[in-house]
Amino acid sequence: MNEFITVYSAEMSRRLKSRAFRIGLIVGLAGVILFIKLPALLGGAFDTNGKTIVLSGDPALTARARTLLKKDFSIVGTSTQTSPPDPAFMKAHQDAGADVILARIKTGLRATVYARDPGNMDSTRLRRDLLPLNLQLATSLTQSRISSLLEMPVDIRTVASKFGSAAEADAARAVAYTLIFFLYFLILFNSQLLMSSVAEEKTSRIAELLVASIDPLALLYGKIAAAATLAIVQMVIWVVTAALLGGGASSGGAEAAAAPSSGALSGLGVIPPFELAGFFIFFILGYLQLAMLFASAGSLISRTEDLGSVSGPLIIPVIGALFIAIAALGFPDAPWIVGASLVPLIAPFVMFARIAVSNVPVWQVALSLVINVAAVWVISILAGRLYRVGMLLYGRTPKLRQVWATIRG
Amino acid sequence: MLVVDHVRKDFGAVRAVRDVSFHIEAGSTFGLLGPNGAGKTTTMRMILGILTPDGGSITWKAERIDGRTRRRFGYLPEERGLYGKMKVREQIAFFGRLHGMVEPQVTTATASWIERLELPAYADRPCGELSKGNQQKVQVACAAVHGPELLVLDEPFSGLDPVNADILLGVLKELKAQGTTLVLSSHQMWQLEALCNEFCIINAGENRASGTLGQLRVAWPTRVIRVSPPTSAVRGILERIPGGHAIPSENGTLDFEVPSATTLPDLLRSLVAVDAVTLFEAVEPSLHDIYVRIIEERA
Repeated sequence: MNEFITVYSAEMSRRLKSRAFRIGLIVGLAGVILFIKLPALLGGAFDTNGKTIVLSGDPALTARARTLLKKDFSIVGTSTQTSPPDPAFMKAHQDAGADVILARIKTGLRATVYARDPGNMDSTRLRRDLLPLNLQLATSLTQSRISSLLEMPVDIRTVASKFGSAAEADAARAVAYTLIFFLYFLILFNSQLLMSSVAEEKTSRIAELLVASIDPLALLYGKIAAAATLAIVQMVIWVVTAALLGGGASSGGAEAAAAPSSGALSGLGVIPPFELAGFFIFFILGYLQLAMLFASAGSLISRTEDLGSVSGPLIIPVIGALFIAIAALGFPDAPWIVGASLVPLIAPFVMFARIAVSNVPVWQVALSLVINVAAVWVISILAGRLYRVGMLLYGRTPKLRQVWATIRG
Repeated sequence: MLVVDHVRKDFGAVRAVRDVSFHIEAGSTFGLLGPNGAGKTTTMRMILGILTPDGGSITWKAERIDGRTRRRFGYLPEERGLYGKMKVREQIAFFGRLHGMVEPQVTTATASWIERLELPAYADRPCGELSKGNQQKVQVACAAVHGPELLVLDEPFSGLDPVNADILLGVLKELKAQGTTLVLSSHQMWQLEALCNEFCIINAGENRASGTLGQLRVAWPTRVIRVSPPTSAVRGILERIPGGHAIPSENGTLDFEVPSATTLPDLLRSLVAVDAVTLFEAVEPSLHDIYVRIIEERA
């Protein structure tokens, strides 16, 4: 136990001081912040052209249209001019992106838009917003009658779902989507850092001194535990940051609507405890499985240049698991998804996705946990064998057949 | 006592160690000799429990070597390696803790080894910034900081300049005086000769010879006789010895290799009878001579 604690604390200290960890933490944090804040900031900048408009035409029409359009457009002025605007006109109206000329016609309302960037003008939204006025002019129905007709009640209900409404389900899916990426990034990033650390010990030739001093398994597990601790620290920092910033974004209403990704992250602040527990447990299981594989693979190489060749085959199942997990958000109960949620290496991602968006039967969660805990145990034995031999192996990276022979003992 | 009993180790189709046996009394200093690829490092790794023998057994104080025993051992591997970014003091203390040391002993022992190996100026510098020789001294400290009962050193002098080699030799003599059992391999025979009580020469994974230097010399088949002046009368006597022959000499003496069975007092009497002999010396073979002869003999 003492050996384990010594390795654990030394590894923690080394990793905290390492450039890779610091850069990873900062880049991840910056990524979270950008993910939340940038869409809203850039969205506003890009949409200015299409959103700032001047309403022109009959004052009775423009006054009514102003009320209808204000939720989606920024109206910078009104005018009675019905001729095409020139650049001076646009400049005079706060450099508006478009001039919308409204005219009453026999069949209702006609809108002619002179936009500086026609491609950026959202005509669908304009048509939808002006629909009540168009109907009023075409049918002579009262404004309140038209409003009630347009607000036909549509009640979407879910069948055997954990969510009360479609909106709630969408929000949960968005949160789960984000967390799956967190899971993917955390597991892969930290497993690869661990692999580099093992490879560094191997290539710097300190490995032999270490395995002569302590049980190689204590060395391996101490390193894995230290990396897991720091991964959890990273995870907490990122998730809390996302929850705090996302919470702020959610109050922005229109901003959040304009940037769905930030809206997804805003939901991180209200993750159900069961889902949070699932995220944590499957993170630990997934991390342990992959970290042990990456560490034992790292012990096989003699030169850091060979890291890519041994890590490549291990990354493929993780990428596969990510895609399956994303699919699981849409089809959580499809038989192949249920099957995948039991398979080691893949299950940590897929089962978490299923838990986040559906009512997974308890027996399936329990079975997945049992299989994956057993997988951790089996992988620890096999990885331990490989690591014990690999740390003393120099020269060419062993072939798959030799690796298999080592694993079989 | 360390007992290595008919150990064997294979790596796939390659038999690295065929059959090696020796025993080392606790507190003695043992030289394990052999050419490159002879199986020295593999044997050392088996002693330390890093590798498990495929045949035979190794015991320390009548116990099989396990994790608990291994904590009482120290090892300086042939391939040097340190954490480049870790400071010298931290590195030595880390290895002390790995071997079960706790505060305040670990700090005291670390400071003592830094002093002993003349490293105070580098104590708080990252190991990667040190010269190769100084890194090697740090490794020696890492191997010995916990006061091991058995210290295994694989080529401890390689890469050291003469001054640092002398410092290391002094440290090893101190450890020997304190009762630490030392197992060394080196190609610097004179250093081993000065340090070790017993030797084992292995080649191709097998014992070739073992024992004290005296025992190895007894088994030596010839002796070198150095005589002066090198007159024709003296030469005539020596040339009459069956199996004797002159060997090159660099200092004006007559050097003659004769069978070890030759009775030296009788030979001296014969020489004195024919000339005024001023020098008659039996030159003992050095460890280097014995080693080279044994390795070449079986090649």
